[in-house]
Amino acid sequence: MSVTPDRPSDLTRRTLLGRTAAAGLLVTPAAGLLSACATSGSDDTGKKDGAEGTKSDQNPLGVKEDAALEVIIFNGGYGEKYATDVHEPLYKKEFPKAEIKHQSTQAISTVLQPRFAAGNPPEFVNNSGEKLMDFGALVKDGQLQDLTELWDAPSVDDPSKKVRDTVVPGTVEQGMYDTGDGAKPYVLYYVSTVYGLWYSGKLFQSNGWQPAKTWDEFMGLLDKIKGKGITPYGYAGANAAYYQWNVILTHAAKIGGADVLKNIDNLTPGAWTADPVLKAATAWAEVGAKYLDKSFEGLKHTDVQLQQDQYKVGFYPSGDWLENEQKQNTPPDFQYQLTTMPDLTSADAMPFGALRAAAGEGYFVSARSNNPRGGMEYMRQMLSTAGAKGFTETVKAATVVPAGSEGYAFPPGVASSQAALKAAGANVVNLMFDNWYKELDTECRTATNELMFGRVKAEQFCERMQKRADALTKDDSVAKFQR
Amino acid sequence: MNPHTTTQVTAPAPSAGAAGGLAAGALPDGRRRRRGRSEVSVLTGLGQAALIIWAILVIAPILWTFLASFKNTTEIFSSPWTMPDHLRWENWSRAWTKAHVGRYFLNSVLVVSLSTFGTMLLGSMAAYVLARYRFWGNRFIYYMFVSGLAFPVFLALVPLFFVVRNLHLLDSYTGLVLVYIAYSLPFTIFFLAAFFKTLPSSVAEAGLIDGASHTRLFFQVMLPMAKPGLVSVAIFNVIGQWAQYQLPLVLLSNAKDKWVLTQGIADISVNAGYEADWSGLFAALTIAILPMIVVYAIFQRQIQSGLTSGAVK
Amino acid sequence: MRHGKYPFVVGFLAAPVTLYAVFVIAPYAQAFQISMTDWRGFSAPNYIGFENFRRLFHDHRFWQAIEHHGILLLALPLITIAIALFFAFLLNVGGRSRGGQRRGVWGSNFYRVVFFFPQVLAVAIVAVLFQTVYRPNSSGLINGVLMKLGLDPVLFLVRPSLALWSIIAVLVWQAVGFYVVLFSAGMSAIPPDIYEAAEMDGATRVTLFFRVTLPLLWDTLQVAWVYLGIAAFDAFAIVSVLSVDNGGPDGATTVLALEIYRNAFVYSKYGYASAMGVALFFLTLTFAALTLRLSRRESVEY
Repeated sequence: MSVTPDRPSDLTRRTLLGRTAAAGLLVTPAAGLLSACATSGSDDTGKKDGAEGTKSDQNPLGVKEDAALEVIIFNGGYGEKYATDVHEPLYKKEFPKAEIKHQSTQAISTVLQPRFAAGNPPEFVNNSGEKLMDFGALVKDGQLQDLTELWDAPSVDDPSKKVRDTVVPGTVEQGMYDTGDGAKPYVLYYVSTVYGLWYSGKLFQSNGWQPAKTWDEFMGLLDKIKGKGITPYGYAGANAAYYQWNVILTHAAKIGGADVLKNIDNLTPGAWTADPVLKAATAWAEVGAKYLDKSFEGLKHTDVQLQQDQYKVGFYPSGDWLENEQKQNTPPDFQYQLTTMPDLTSADAMPFGALRAAAGEGYFVSARSNNPRGGMEYMRQMLSTAGAKGFTETVKAATVVPAGSEGYAFPPGVASSQAALKAAGANVVNLMFDNWYKELDTECRTATNELMFGRVKAEQFCERMQKRADALTKDDSVAKFQR
Repeated sequence: MNPHTTTQVTAPAPSAGAAGGLAAGALPDGRRRRRGRSEVSVLTGLGQAALIIWAILVIAPILWTFLASFKNTTEIFSSPWTMPDHLRWENWSRAWTKAHVGRYFLNSVLVVSLSTFGTMLLGSMAAYVLARYRFWGNRFIYYMFVSGLAFPVFLALVPLFFVVRNLHLLDSYTGLVLVYIAYSLPFTIFFLAAFFKTLPSSVAEAGLIDGASHTRLFFQVMLPMAKPGLVSVAIFNVIGQWAQYQLPLVLLSNAKDKWVLTQGIADISVNAGYEADWSGLFAALTIAILPMIVVYAIFQRQIQSGLTSGAVK
Repeated sequence: MRHGKYPFVVGFLAAPVTLYAVFVIAPYAQAFQISMTDWRGFSAPNYIGFENFRRLFHDHRFWQAIEHHGILLLALPLITIAIALFFAFLLNVGGRSRGGQRRGVWGSNFYRVVFFFPQVLAVAIVAVLFQTVYRPNSSGLINGVLMKLGLDPVLFLVRPSLALWSIIAVLVWQAVGFYVVLFSAGMSAIPPDIYEAAEMDGATRVTLFFRVTLPLLWDTLQVAWVYLGIAAFDAFAIVSVLSVDNGGPDGATTVLALEIYRNAFVYSKYGYASAMGVALFFLTLTFAALTLRLSRRESVEY
């Protein structure tokens, strides 16, 4: 059951092989099955280049013009319209003979895992959401296309510029993975994402509240909000605890510097038990004990977000996809606003305004698909001014292509996050461990709920995470990454 | 499906019936005098109360879903037990058109009717042979089938995907129906083999002496005699296959137009979370539940007697 | 049964056995092999012997799941059978006797129909339904009422001590109706003159239940136990849709199928997940073998 490229001439042979092999299942002793079937992925075919056309100025990546392209979109906060209405038409315009097969899902891994295992993955995947596939495992297995060629290709708008020069600095690096032979870019993180604490501008204005700069002010403010009968702070424990670990870790970085997160990503011994992490966890555990509604642990992110839209929740931690995600339920004058972590003490390593920002929302091209060049070309179109602009206009979020959001009037929430990003200057941090090690992410979500809903102390939180990270370090079956 | 794939597929094995085990010792031996009427009425009262409470527990969530399908999101979340402001049929039309509940429903009907038919045909054939014929390997084949009851479906998901793919049956009804049949065989054969055993052999022998072939004997004599058992297994298979979720999720993942109802509901449920379209979700649920209520209400006598006739003759 | 037996046997078995071997046996055989590898779902696996099982032995979550199956195995059959027996008794012999004929209480047929209803709902639908029932704030069906009455909301799925029981309640909710119908059928097969004789002796309803009904239903009860027991090894759909943080809080509701799912589809540790599957297989098999042996009966010919 080898996986050969889907060329018409091969079809009969393939079919025949398939049928024979299937019939063989009945007579082959079980021992032969595994090698013969389930894991046919790589060894016999190795890397294949898939369909290839002739390179030209119009077609720098050498896409075969009539090769089909399958696009899988995570139908989450950004929906799927940007793909069907903007990017796919752009590709289709370039290659009218190519058939585009579009599919969207909320459960990426459930739908795609078997297809990767089977060796017929779709060309282009938006790997995101609650059930995203483990990027680390994909990279380790050579499933992802090396995007170096794409980044070095000429931009759609200005052939004298490389694509890598049209995006925000750091974008290429963020999608890089080092598996031992040097770091290579495998993932396109497309959306400029800013994380922080969100509140309603209207609610705060009408009560004369100001977002806090120091921890004491912050706790005072939460008291005032509580006095109004509003839950001061909330996140959804049922499925979005990672919004909260993001707050704790961003705060830890602000207290102790960006290396705190780098150590966590690199699985450095003692990274989780470091003092800044402990301090941040202690501080937020207090918020959990005093200001969190216990019922939130049983709610999903959309439930809590809806409550905030109804002015029942003060602060809510999230990325700046929030405003778009909630647009149907937000009152017109609600005015989403973002604020950043307060100073815990005056000795914090980073000044007020430091925040986590990253290129978010990962996209990749499958190396073993039939048309990886088409997948890369699709990305090139996404990264064109027209592609980026179309995305921004559809979902009201900025992409990593600055030219795409030039002159665009963002709604209040994204406008405030863009302003915060500008104000933060160099004080921007990021972390990668959740994309690299799904297990650690899961553990951290659980531990965060335990901490925030008062079942463990900050020390136990740190120890638990350190223990899990240590176990991961020892697990050879998991590929490790460094940054 | 086998019993552990769905929680509700719990089935009676054919039993000789309680009466068979009748023992004289079960009779109360005391010579008690009649107690006062009051104890009886207290008990009856308590019992009635318990029955009413359970009936409410069953009806309330379903009734609520029905009401919620006419509400908007704010009404659903602010005060769950108030009536909808007005009947918002647009929720229903949204569920029907945008979420394709209607199509998923019909897909389910198609898949389940085909696979239940196939399961009953193949299952009863195998069960009959295994129950009533002695031949080398009989026990081995029987236990091979029955051990399937203990397989967790998860264990098989990914390898199964390859098997189906290599037969070029992925994203097709044929593939799904065949897989449903295969996974329903253990329970069907387990149940029916025991049932066929209880059928009198005199009739069969008479038939054979009359010169009927084995095949004719099966279809014209034994099957009609086994009707009560067949009906109950068929109902179990319908319920089990109707509720199946994991298998179609993996085997039909790329053919959204072929999705079955459970997939559709799960998809809508997640979507509702992302789009905060809760009224649409409850409308979809209602559309999915209503036909079940109607079918069940019409056939409840047959369904109940069918389910139990196998258990207690 | 002499002429042409073998061609007939082979002819009848060919199709079912083929189908079963291709779609059931072959995948499971592969899964057993995968459990001996470090396969992560994509490229070629390495054979690592029993390493996965050794790890399993030290996996806290795995043992947590096993413990939950233990609780389910006891609680689900006990509670379901107790409730179903009580209702079945009321519906069949709980009413007044008329002319020596035992009757159920008033409205028996209505209750039988209603109680059975959850049985025909797909598990996916039941799970989504109970999300709303258990919702931890005033928008929940139960807590909405409690809070109207000025009481504190009950955090059904959130309090670690309560979460698993809330899940069990859903399983019971769905199962009871079927067993009411099953036991009713068993009870209606009990000859009425036994009740009559007992009543003549002055037996109360309670005595009737424990001294007459229960012993005569023993076989049916055993059957019910087996199937509820097998159901106790599943519970995947309900747990994965209902529980917070996927089997949480902190694993308080996790079951083996959920851990298998997590390891295979979230961590891409397919080898390890298969090892768990193999463990689950042997557990279910042991239970089934034990109970089937205990409840084994002769086939009866009339």
